[in-house]
Parts: sequence; structure tokens; C-alpha cells
Amino acid sequence: MDIGFSPEETRFREECRAWLHANVPAEKRPLNADEALDFDKAWQRRLFDAGWAGINWPEDYGGRGLSIVEQVIWLEEYAKAHAPWIGSNFVGVNHGGPTLIINASEEQKAYHLPRILKGEAIWCQGFSEPGAGSDLAGIKTRGRIEGDELVVNGSKIWTSFAHVADWQELVLRTEDGSQRHKGLSWAICDMHAPGITIRPIQKMSGQVEFAEVFYDDVRIPLANVVGGLGNGWKVAMSTLSFERGTGFIADQVKQSQEIAELIATARGSGMIGDDRIADSLAQMRAEVAALRAMTYRNISEVVRTGQPGPEASVIRLFTSELGQRLERMAVLLMGDAAIDFAYGDDNAVGDYLRGFAATIAGGTAQIQRDIIGERLLGLPKSR
Amino acid sequence: MDLTPNDEQLALQTATADWCRDNMPLEAARSRRAGLWQDLEAMGWSAMTAPGMDLDHATEALVFAELGRFLAPMGLISTAAANRWFAGSFEGKAGLALPVTGSDAMRILDPVEAGTAVMWSAQSVALYAAPDDQPHRPTIDLSTLQGRQPSTSPVAVSNAPTSPLHLQLLSAAYAVGCADAARDMAADYARLREQFDRPIGWFQALKHICSDMAVRAAVARSQLYYAACALDAKDGEAAFHVAAAKRLADQAAIDNGRANIQVHGGIGMTDEAAPHLCLKRAHLLQFIAPADAALLLEDAA
Repeated sequence: MDIGFSPEETRFREECRAWLHANVPAEKRPLNADEALDFDKAWQRRLFDAGWAGINWPEDYGGRGLSIVEQVIWLEEYAKAHAPWIGSNFVGVNHGGPTLIINASEEQKAYHLPRILKGEAIWCQGFSEPGAGSDLAGIKTRGRIEGDELVVNGSKIWTSFAHVADWQELVLRTEDGSQRHKGLSWAICDMHAPGITIRPIQKMSGQVEFAEVFYDDVRIPLANVVGGLGNGWKVAMSTLSFERGTGFIADQVKQSQEIAELIATARGSGMIGDDRIADSLAQMRAEVAALRAMTYRNISEVVRTGQPGPEASVIRLFTSELGQRLERMAVLLMGDAAIDFAYGDDNAVGDYLRGFAATIAGGTAQIQRDIIGERLLGLPKSR
Repeated sequence: MDLTPNDEQLALQTATADWCRDNMPLEAARSRRAGLWQDLEAMGWSAMTAPGMDLDHATEALVFAELGRFLAPMGLISTAAANRWFAGSFEGKAGLALPVTGSDAMRILDPVEAGTAVMWSAQSVALYAAPDDQPHRPTIDLSTLQGRQPSTSPVAVSNAPTSPLHLQLLSAAYAVGCADAARDMAADYARLREQFDRPIGWFQALKHICSDMAVRAAVARSQLYYAACALDAKDGEAAFHVAAAKRLADQAAIDNGRANIQVHGGIGMTDEAAPHLCLKRAHLLQFIAPADAALLLEDAA
């Protein structure tokens, strides 16, 4: 075991650092949704042109074909350089793209992957429904097969970026009368197709970042089904396991910056003199360090065996809850200035309110604990 | 960068666990058989990083986590430190010395058949003469006896910056093993014990207690590996990483120890059952080379 990097990896890190130093935009990512979209697309295009998009994606589809270690180094340097949040490209780059790489046909990959990497196509997710949250197999949105098309009726909810997306990862029921995990398909849905209505939903932080999506006889070519009709559950799970595995490097670096800033803030205000505050800051600093160690262990496992170890689900749960403790501490350290929070403010209170998503989206903390208990400890399945 | 044990280390880990299961079962921790200490020395575990040995801290920490899982004698920690830092001025077994608050005396943990004892401080480790001629008293940890003697001057002191970190790392490894043992005991019981006609591990209320034990153990073990590697690499932040490892390992050991008793219910509160052995060991470990919170708040190097 060692924590050192090879000379080649170190050189790669220096390249990342130099490029980021020269290219990270000075202006902040705009809060306004339309401006943010333009910003995200332009930034993603710049990353692509310089060869930093899709570092560990296959070369045939516009990636660099490097290993996950280089991807980790890039993400670490990216966060250290305070480069912008990936924003509206999040689902395509971190979620849809990797799913296509694992499951899609050559035609689907050749069309979509380069567009994702170049920031030309924005993606959103379409898994949750009003009646299918933690119980995702309860999906009711239906796709009736008519000739070489699916005719879709139903609705999805909590869809981030729905209002700006070009494509959606849509999981729907394509077999009449099928139950639970059977008879589902994973399809690429054109978000500009007739019959789609988007109802934005405002969050308790004030932002309008997600939406409910309604489908009224929306037509999707059967050629857009990924991984074959009826295999939607398997395809969706490959995405979720990716999300639980290695998608959290940048968060982890961000958290190590946040804890350093919190300690500095507490020193500056004198609040560090409160033993309880000092002790929880010390605790979180140790936990952030352990999170990096756990992430490195997981990456090492991927390098060694080709896939994340069973402890990847632990990283997911631990990151989300640690992030919330950090956000809560940041609000505590604001003192009575927290009272002044109003919608539109971009401060620690907004982060704290938005942060509730971390233990809900993509599988609640309770579902994560089920997975850990069942897969890691072999306890009987409760569902 | 590689934070997974290599094949050789995995083999050593497995061999250690197998040996412990056969020769030093956790359930027998309160009355260890005669000759156990000699066997542990013969296995080489009391001198893995002594001068002339070509083993790194990472391997030593992996093995000590396995030993800790079976509540191995506390004297292994102090003897490993003595063999590393006081070779020549020391032989045989060293107890683990701790000051007694409000008194001039010092406690010697695991004094049986020892002639010396090692005391940790944040700056150094020191070797004291500690002949095993004092009456033995119990400690909260039923597997560990103690003697007491007046404070004296040390026979030898190591001020090498690595020496206190080494002892702190080994005690963190013991705590990681202790947390693992409690987690596994709880999960085993939750799979077997039935109430309402099904294993209690089926119920989320119990399952999630066990999952949290797994999270704490994974967090502590990961930081232990990183800290051991930082020490091997003479990393400028090694002191921070070892302290973080000790803090998280101590918490995991105590919290898992408590949770294990809760999962076991009534039987978990008894003297007869094993869960309290882990909890009591965890309470003792938090006094060994404790992590300094101020160090965890210091600016990064």
C-alpha cells in the first residue's frame, strides 16, 4: 500500500493544474437559469477542446481513454482550482454518458457521447414518479409499442434540469400488465418532442432546479431503447451503481476546502473558543481525511478488479451526511446573520437548505443503509 | 497510489486471522491460556518493525487490526514499540505504562511476565523498569490486568518524531479490529436471532444499526491505511493522519461496542455473552495514545 503517485501521474497532475490555472473563468456561474445554461455549455466546450472532457471515456467517442486514476487526479485539481460546478452538464457527463458507455449500441454511443462531452446536448434523468420514489420498481409511466415507436403516457418528478434538457434517461413500463422490476425499459427521450409538458417545482431554498414532467402520447423511436426492451431495471441499476461508486471525488475535495474555511472562519470570529464547536470541527476534519482515504481505497479496488468494491455504498452515504454536517456548521458560524436569509441569496443558508437533497436524491440515506446491511453484512432483504 | 493490501499482505492478514481464531478466540479473552504470550512472540508479532526487519507500517497496521479483532493482549502494542525503539536496552515483554491522574503512581497494563513498560506521550515514548512483582488488579477490560508502581525515571527515551506516532498507529489498529469484531458479532446475531417469526436483521430498525456499524468501521479502517502509508512515506502530515485515524478508530470501537449490545438485547447485557468484552476493550483503548483535537485543527502543512 502507498499513497504516492507515479512520475507520469505527477506530470499529468501538473498539466491539469497549469491548464486550470490559466483557464478557470474569473466570473462565477450565474444564478439565472438561462445565463447559467450558456455558461455551462461554453465551459464544457472549452474543456472538450483542451482534452479534459471524458478523461476516462473511450477515445472512439471523444474521450481520452485514460485510467480512472487520471480522472481522479483531474477532479482533485479541478476542485482545488475552484473551477465551476459542472451544472446542467451533470446528468449527461456523470450519469447518462457512463450508462451509454456500458449499455448502448454503437449507433447510440456514436451519436450521443461526443455531443455530451462537447456540451452540445443537455441531459436530465427520468426515474422517480409521484408513486415511485424509494420504491423505484413501482414505475407506472407506460410506453405502448406502435410499429417502430413507443407511445408514452405518464409523469416523472424531481427531474433536475428538465427545463433546459435536450434528452432524458427515461425508465418506463413497456410490457402491459408487467409487475415490479420486469417489463421496464430504459429509453432516450427527446425533451423537445410534442406532448411533453414541464411544470417547474420551487425548492425550499428558493431555486427552481427541478420539475415534474408530463407525457401525453409522446412518440419515441424504438431505436432509442438502450440495452433492449424489458431490460430497463438492469440498465438503470448500472447507472445507479456508477453514481454510488466513483462519482464523488470532486465533492470530497470540496469538503476538504470547506472544513479548512470553516476552521479559519471560526478562528476569525472567536467561535472556536467554544469547545463544542472546536470539537465538531476537529471531528469533521478527521472525517474529511478519512473520506479521501476511503475514496482512494475504492479507486484502488477499481484499478485492481475493474469495479468498485462493495464499500462504495458506504462512501455515498458517508459523503452525503458529512456534507450536511458541514453545511449546518457553516450556518451556525454565520451567527444571527442567518436570520436575514431571503430567496435569491447565494450563501451558506442556501447551501444548507439545498443540501437536504444529498440524503434524498438518487436513493435516500435509508435505502443506502438497506443496501449496506444487505450487500455488505448479508442481512435478510426487507423489501 | 494504492490503498488496497497486495497479495502478500492479504495472505498475511488471512493467516493472522486464522491463527487467532484457532489459538486466541475472542470469547476466551478474559482468561487467556498459559503460553499464549510466548506463541505471539514466536509468530513475530511483537517485533514486526524492529531494527533489521524489512516490514513497513502498513503491513504492521494490517496485522494489528486482525490481532485487535480477537482482543489480543495489550502488551503487544507496547512490546512492538519497545522492540522498535529500544532494541539493545530491552528484552522480552514490555507492559503499557499510563500515568494515574491525581497521583504519583503509574499503571502498568498487561504486566504479567513483563520486566519493563513503555509510556507514550505526544512527543516521545519512554521505557521504564517495571518488574512483575506488584499485585495484579483488574481493569475495565476483562482481558487486561494492571499493576501499579511509583513513578520513576525512564531507562531510555526515544524522541524520534515517529516513535509516538508508531504506538498511536498500533493502538488505532487495535481499535479498528475491535470495531470490526463488534460489527460482525452484531450482524451474525441479527441474521440468526428470530422475533416476530423472522430474523431481527430483517427489520430496518435493527438493520440500520448494523449498517452504521459498517460505516464507522469502513471509515476508521480507511484512515488507518492512509495514516500507515503517510508514516511509511515520511509525509509531512503524518502526525495529523495518525491522530485522525486514532480518533475515528476509538469512536468506531466505542460506538460499535455499544450498538452490538443493543442488537443483542437482553443477552447482550450479560456477563456470560461476549459483546461487553469488545465494549470494555474500546473504553480502555481510548486512554492509549489519545488523539489531540488541537492537532486536528492545525493548518495543513
